[in-house]
Amino acid sequence: MNVASMTMPDAEFRAAGTDLSERRRSGVSKGPLVDIIASGESGISWGADGAATIGALTTIAAIAADARIISAYPGIAASAQNLATPQIRRLATLGGNLAQRNRCWYFRNPHIACLKKGGDACPARSGNHLYGVAFDLGDCVAPHPSTMATALLAYDAHVVTNHRDGVTIATLLGDGSDGRRDHMLKAGEVIERIVLPPPLSAERADYKRAIGRAHAEWPLVEVCARTVIADGKFRFVRLVAGGIAPVPLRLTACERPLQGSAATAAAIAEAAKQAAFGAKPLPMTNYKLELLEGLVRDLLEHLAA
Amino acid sequence: MNTMTINGQSGSLPDDQDALLVDVIRDHLNLTGTKLVCGSGVCGACTVLLDGEPVVSCLLPASAAAGKTVTTIEGVGSAGLHPMQRAFMAHDALQCGFCTPGFVVEAAAFHDHWRLSRGTAIPSREEIAAALSGHLCRCGAYEGIYRAVADACAGRFDGVDPTAPRIEARDKVTGLARYTVDIRHDDQLEGGILRAPAAHARIRNLDLSPARAIAGVGAVISLLADDETVRFVGAPIAAVAGRDRRTALQAVAAITYDCEKLPAVIGLDAGRHQAAPVVFEKQDRKRAHNLAEGGGGPASWRGNVRGPSALFSQKAKRAKSWLAEAHAASDPLLVERTFRVPTQQHACLEPHAAVARFDGDELTVHISTQAVHDMMEKIAKRYKLARDKVRVIADHVGGGFGSKGSLGMETIAAIELARAAKAPVRVVFDREEELSVTGYRPAAELQISLLPSPQGALKALSLTAQADTGTGVNSLIAGLARLIYPAEAKDLVDFDVLSNLPPGAPFRGPGGPPMAFALEQAIDEAALRMKVDPIELRKRWDPDPNRQRLYDWAADLDVWRNRPLPSSQTGRYRRGVGVATGYWLYLWQQGSTVELAIRGGRIVASCAVQDIGTGTRSVIADKVARAFDLEPQDIDVRIGHSNLPQGPGSGGSRVTASIVPATLLAIEKLKAEIERTAARPPSPGSNAPWRELIAAAPDLVVSAKRPEDGKPANGVRPALREAGFMGWVFGWVLRIANHMVVGAGVPSSVQVIEIEVDTWLGKVRVVNAHVGLAIGKVAAPALARSQAAGALIQGIGYALYEARETDPITGHVLTAGMEDYRIPGIADMPRLDVHFDEAGFDHVPGGSVGIGEVATVPTSPAVANAIHNAIGIRMTEIPFRPDRLAAALKGRDAA
Repeated sequence: MNVASMTMPDAEFRAAGTDLSERRRSGVSKGPLVDIIASGESGISWGADGAATIGALTTIAAIAADARIISAYPGIAASAQNLATPQIRRLATLGGNLAQRNRCWYFRNPHIACLKKGGDACPARSGNHLYGVAFDLGDCVAPHPSTMATALLAYDAHVVTNHRDGVTIATLLGDGSDGRRDHMLKAGEVIERIVLPPPLSAERADYKRAIGRAHAEWPLVEVCARTVIADGKFRFVRLVAGGIAPVPLRLTACERPLQGSAATAAAIAEAAKQAAFGAKPLPMTNYKLELLEGLVRDLLEHLAA
Repeated sequence: MNTMTINGQSGSLPDDQDALLVDVIRDHLNLTGTKLVCGSGVCGACTVLLDGEPVVSCLLPASAAAGKTVTTIEGVGSAGLHPMQRAFMAHDALQCGFCTPGFVVEAAAFHDHWRLSRGTAIPSREEIAAALSGHLCRCGAYEGIYRAVADACAGRFDGVDPTAPRIEARDKVTGLARYTVDIRHDDQLEGGILRAPAAHARIRNLDLSPARAIAGVGAVISLLADDETVRFVGAPIAAVAGRDRRTALQAVAAITYDCEKLPAVIGLDAGRHQAAPVVFEKQDRKRAHNLAEGGGGPASWRGNVRGPSALFSQKAKRAKSWLAEAHAASDPLLVERTFRVPTQQHACLEPHAAVARFDGDELTVHISTQAVHDMMEKIAKRYKLARDKVRVIADHVGGGFGSKGSLGMETIAAIELARAAKAPVRVVFDREEELSVTGYRPAAELQISLLPSPQGALKALSLTAQADTGTGVNSLIAGLARLIYPAEAKDLVDFDVLSNLPPGAPFRGPGGPPMAFALEQAIDEAALRMKVDPIELRKRWDPDPNRQRLYDWAADLDVWRNRPLPSSQTGRYRRGVGVATGYWLYLWQQGSTVELAIRGGRIVASCAVQDIGTGTRSVIADKVARAFDLEPQDIDVRIGHSNLPQGPGSGGSRVTASIVPATLLAIEKLKAEIERTAARPPSPGSNAPWRELIAAAPDLVVSAKRPEDGKPANGVRPALREAGFMGWVFGWVLRIANHMVVGAGVPSSVQVIEIEVDTWLGKVRVVNAHVGLAIGKVAAPALARSQAAGALIQGIGYALYEARETDPITGHVLTAGMEDYRIPGIADMPRLDVHFDEAGFDHVPGGSVGIGEVATVPTSPAVANAIHNAIGIRMTEIPFRPDRLAAALKGRDAA
């Protein structure tokens, strides 16, 4: 694998192909391919401290159905249960989910140039960006597509690649300013496993996405929330949102006022208003901030109930 | 070379790294039950089992199947039907059948897991919906699918094979039904089309020779018009035929040309701007595509704005002045609103496709078409061939909805390539082509003014529609408001606004849903202002006898009587109930002929009609079987071939009303002929005298043309009668030019819809739908219900999810994949109550008229009225997506 990738620096790695196959068929992806599905790590292992390590080729369906993941990392399980479709989840891998390319309809169209295809401007910014970012952090306005990255950021996961250990999700995906990239993996660098810290004691977590239809839609906005509540007060709150920025975003302005505050509907509603702090919506994406506030309220009320 | 085990046999896998399993299955192994639709893992039509687990084969690299077992639909229940296949058949969980193999593969696997762990417990609707959330059905067979999955899991189909209400259901649940995309002749070439990269350009120096030089290329032809101008992205420039798709695409890419870009304009708002570049100069206007089903009249042009077309206005000046006075006087009863509807794509799961083959001077064309007879005539005329030398075949059609009624580029390219290559050629549009250049229901801006009189009558109505018709003309939306709710004066004006986008096409009740979206909300608003029950007001203003009965039914529904008071709710989730009305014309096709024959002791029914999922085969079989005390399966129905007796096109909801009367007449003739030729009478006391007679009868043939209707009951009039003299003219033109007759009686639908709004996440969910339909006697109850359900779910798609999006600068269609063009899934299907009112069409032989279009007309305004009931906001633009709900709710909170 490494030999092949070193001889073909433009090569794209292919795990299950659930993202790549469509781009190959359309011609958006044309370079050499390196198949890794038969040679990587898959499966979930557990440390003595109750922390999980997940092989990059573990399928989303396996994560979604794993009883121990559901119990220890309910936010990760819920994310895996809700993304894509059942048929895709049975094939798609965790590593592939993190390294997938974005879903922008300009990027996916083989006839249109864009920053991520070597062009010099983002056509969605001046064109139709209905599903674009509401936190405008870079030249490209496509939100990051990885639901699992949203969940893994909420859990402070680290990624191990064939080149590096201890790569945070923020390091893996960057700060969103580089409009030419969906991730910061170097040529020939491939994700091998994902290392999770142990869950906090008595923590609860959940994930939800705002979509138009009932199922099977890319999120307009998605949030993974973790809380520890004791004596009616929030002792720990972690909120990470996807679908709103070129990278998953921690909602620290929302988390801060809740630390130590009463876990009441009123406090939650007040804090949820801070979800949009720092937002820079585009002309067509203001609505995402409303949905973001609603999702934060929904999840925290559910976790506080 | 790697191998897999497929349906119990060894299958080889190509070394090509880019080979996908779906292509290996379909093209190399010729297992065509597995369908390729979206190519992006969204719709599930290509679902197969990989080591027993359902996966999408359109995204699966063929190499991933190495050493594994693959089961396709052909392998499911290969030793007798799987219980899930039986359940799909029995519950009519399918219409066109193109999505069915994927659904069946997934549902069968779900069943097998469920039975192992849960025995015969019945899965909930939510569990079924989650399991099937990776599948889409455009016909909307979801209701039957819910029932089928629940009943199969409950063990109710473990036994014998059921009788299906749809006679071809077995072929569709086993993957044997062959569609145009499945046709493969020996030495067949694959077509591909070079399409315009710019919205408006002159194409010069087109050089086809580099494509011709590629090995395996059989033909390359130009498709450019004589003005060498393309007027939308995706307009055809040239076509190629190669030994396989890859070769064809390579050849397309090799063609060279100079593209001189011309000023372009995209969409309604830009197109109507005074300074906009002109799409068609005066001498080019005849090049605009005509998107009307029934012709369409002349109109004046001003830049890109074509119109006004106001043939159906009535005392327009008076309407204008009354409405202006009421506006100036701030009359509180005057309703004035501007509504917007989006461009809706047909999104047929079987793409537009044609396979052409010449044998000497005979041409056979398989087409995914709604009109085999009509296509034969058009092809014969265009290519100057004798009609008996052209054969058009469509055994099964994977959805049409109006988009497959004309001679399309897929067919033209296939024929011309086949002629040039001297080999059969198949042209199958890919999903991007299907969702961008095959037509659509145009978006429109609708300005409506509605004025009740002080006495509570409907005094004046004005509706101006500006339709976003791209490079097409002849949208009719506003004019349709003439045929319902009589008023003292009506000012109804239609405009086409042209721009550099592909042209529209007829789509299920074409201008009906947009017209109703504006009119039915205005009626609702008037009722609220007049403090009259909205159904009561419709009863007062709408004297049509069919709808009067439907209003009584609707007013009596518990959900209506117990609906929330307007603006009475404050919580996160709010419920609302809305009502709306729709009508469509009762049309039938002159000359429609059904032939009945006895061959070898069996009845054979023949007609050059086609079944696009609507159930035409079954309607014919049912009628004949019932007349002879037989089962529908005893009748051989031959349709889908143009060399059969002339049949109607499957459009304008005219098939049932055209072929049932002809079938009934043919039955009478056949009975007489059987009795006349019988060697001996049936045995005394026989409980199946006809069966005996038919088995003993010599071969014989009778046929009957669709007879005229009888005299309608008092007060039953054609819809066009409402439009006075112009209505008469319109009807006359339809009859002379299209051989279509507008009969007496108005097919109608009243719908009461209950929704829930999640005000935090901006989401609207349809909870319950009550669909009242007056379409005469129901010809085939299970299939009519399926049509009603399908029309409703397409209406819900229109109201809540569907919209074509384009790039405002380049004119590219951005929603050219099923991920971005969002059609409803199974969990979006509400609980459904269908009420058939069977009176009103006794003058029609058989008593039945069509259902397909009328049932989708009132859905979007009923949803809109329900949302108003729930949250007190009049939403003016569909689809009611979360972005629109969020914006509307925010605006209200701020106010």
